[in-house]
Amino acid sequence: MLFLKKYKRYKHPYITTSIIILIIIAFLSLFAPLLTDYNPVRNDARNRLQPPSYQHFLGTDQFGRDVFTRILYGIRTSMEVGLAVVLLTVIFGGIVGVMAGYYSQIDKIVMRILDALMAFPGIIIAISLAAIWGAGKLNIILALSFAYFPKMARIVRSAVISIKDLDYVDSARSVGAKDSRIIFKYILKNSASPIMVQATFNFALAILDEAALSFLGVGIMPPAPSLGAMVTDARTYMVVAPWMILAPGIMIILAVLSLNLLGDGLRDLLDPHLKNTLKK
Amino acid sequence: MRRKIKITAVVLMTLVFSLLLSGNVLAQEEDHYGGTLNAALQMSVAHLDSDNSTDSLITAMMNHVYEGLFEFDENLNLTPHLAESYQIGEDGLVYDVKLRENVTMHNGQTMNADDVIASFKRWLELNNGGQLVSPYFDRVEKIDQYNIRFKFKEPYAPFLNILASPVSNQKFVVRAEEVVNEFGSDVIDRHVGTGPYKYEEWVPDQKLVLTRFEDYSPSPREGSFFAGERIPYLDKIVFNFIPDAQVRVSGVQTGQFHFAEEVPRDQYSLFEANPNIDNVIIYPDRMSMLIFNNANPPFDNKYARQAIAYALDFEELGYAMIGNPKFWRLEPALHEEGNPWHVPDAGKGIYGVYDPEKAKELLDRAGYDGSPIVILSGQDNAMERQGAIAIQDQLEKIGVEVELQLFDRPTVVERRAKKEGWHIHLSPFIKIVPDPQIHQGWTGTNKWISNWDSEESREMDQIFAEMLKEVDQEKRYKIVERMEAKLWDAVPYFNILDYSRLHIKRAELKNFKGSWQPFFWNTYLE
Repeated sequence: MLFLKKYKRYKHPYITTSIIILIIIAFLSLFAPLLTDYNPVRNDARNRLQPPSYQHFLGTDQFGRDVFTRILYGIRTSMEVGLAVVLLTVIFGGIVGVMAGYYSQIDKIVMRILDALMAFPGIIIAISLAAIWGAGKLNIILALSFAYFPKMARIVRSAVISIKDLDYVDSARSVGAKDSRIIFKYILKNSASPIMVQATFNFALAILDEAALSFLGVGIMPPAPSLGAMVTDARTYMVVAPWMILAPGIMIILAVLSLNLLGDGLRDLLDPHLKNTLKK
Repeated sequence: MRRKIKITAVVLMTLVFSLLLSGNVLAQEEDHYGGTLNAALQMSVAHLDSDNSTDSLITAMMNHVYEGLFEFDENLNLTPHLAESYQIGEDGLVYDVKLRENVTMHNGQTMNADDVIASFKRWLELNNGGQLVSPYFDRVEKIDQYNIRFKFKEPYAPFLNILASPVSNQKFVVRAEEVVNEFGSDVIDRHVGTGPYKYEEWVPDQKLVLTRFEDYSPSPREGSFFAGERIPYLDKIVFNFIPDAQVRVSGVQTGQFHFAEEVPRDQYSLFEANPNIDNVIIYPDRMSMLIFNNANPPFDNKYARQAIAYALDFEELGYAMIGNPKFWRLEPALHEEGNPWHVPDAGKGIYGVYDPEKAKELLDRAGYDGSPIVILSGQDNAMERQGAIAIQDQLEKIGVEVELQLFDRPTVVERRAKKEGWHIHLSPFIKIVPDPQIHQGWTGTNKWISNWDSEESREMDQIFAEMLKEVDQEKRYKIVERMEAKLWDAVPYFNILDYSRLHIKRAELKNFKGSWQPFFWNTYLE
């Protein structure tokens, strides 16, 4: 693969760092049940607001639940939401983008609609949709995907437009290749890098926005663990139980930072114009 | 000559010394007087006319300006205040009230029967408390300047308690007749009462300023909460409206405010560590009620409702809902300990008995089919939100599937009014109520949101009908006992626990008593 080959050659420090953090996060969320003895939703209110100790690595919250356990499961929720949103935006953004970019007849209509959607900040769209559909994991995923897909469609469309008039596409068309073959075999394959970069950023944004929605009370329903909701709950206890707000806060920072670094790194690595700067 | 001077000098010296000494003694007594108090209250009010609003803050502030015929003391005993004495006719239809003489009002006139009657008629027409009374009420008569007779068509036992009610928008206060005539049923904005402080200035959404009434005529009885002697030590009281709890807290920390109402309970230990701040834990004056939707299975069956009481570990709920055990206590009765209507053995054998096995057994007996139980609760109030989460956790532990629905207040109010779509609802109730009759408002056939309609609910209606007519305190207490017993057998709703609110004050504010509504007579600044 092109990416791996390039990575081996340039050893981009952003990518190295972010991948190490991401592997740790993925490990934590995948093996959450094995890493802790506690249940993330079971209460033990008699032991509420305990400071970090040997039994409770990161202390307990106002219900006496283990904060470390809730973070493990919370990051799991974040990852699930992030992955699902990325998948949905790539699929729907991709379809719409390719359609608009390849068939110039529908381009104008579709892109004007997308422009109108993009006029609203994504988080506003997500909040209103989540408020209408109600809170819950599935609704958040749908709301965030709906908020993000116009941008993805726009990026795919511009990639498709710049590629579709290149010589190799013309030659494929001249030998009688069908539209579907041209799109999948020649165009999509070559526009993979901007999609990949945008997908990484969307992943980070989805984690952040899920936290924001849960913080505002329209996200993951309690008692299910979510990093954003943990921060909301912890606000009241900030002065007496700072571990409750620090732990999920740091986790959100780590997840978003590593994904943003990965996105930046990928953009550097896959952008032909930046190759020379990298060599230095 | 010289001798004369000497004697004069000695006399003068003695005089000066004795003056100085007496000055000192006087100063010690007068020391308490003076100063401006700054209090931070949690909300603003729309106006200051307590008959025209359900806002308890209006009553709390205007208690300094107006006084009632009767007031409650620390133990919720009814005490004559502007009244001197009273007598109830044998059949409970006639109340003769004698007023205190020589009580000066803020307009300089002496309070008399005309002021009381004018205020009473307005109260009867506008005030919620008056509207409770008016269906049974006949008329009020002036016997002479200081004697009044209240006549009823039918006996209405809670009458005097409602006059002194600590519940917002029920208390009867005496206003000057001229003001009542001037405003009629409109919102009053000129305030002439008999209280220790008089109205000076009100800046909407910002502050209310009261100043000492120099000609105040205190009650001869010993001061206890709202009843008895009120001494206005402070020159001025400024009530500031500060909705943000953290701002109220920092205001007290910096000394800007001497008092802040309702601050976060979890910061208790921080305040305790600060020598300039005193915690004022209010006697538990809230209850957290668990209300069943009695219309739908499984809770249309009393065994299923009892099962929930057995399934819950109330103590654990106390920690989860409220936190620090200083702020809550288990209490099965509707009236708290110390209240004349307290029933000590209410809920015996069911309240606070944590028995999951029995709960499962009762659920089976009720024919519960395992379908999910919907808990509908508010998400803005910590008690409601955390209580719902903790109850879900405990019910899931005994294998009951629970669906949690947390919404903002308006949505909750809309949804709980429906017959379908919810099973359990959590709501805070005010514990300090003037009379057991008040519970009739939500206890009985199809009352409030309970959808309770069965043989048992009709028996409960009967109990309240008897209570209404019985004016003898002891016999009435027996009826209250029956009411509590019925309540814990049928369990259309139940009290999980009582909890307190936390106020804070500066250490220099002395003699402050934490009552259900803050008041600042008898307090002074050092």
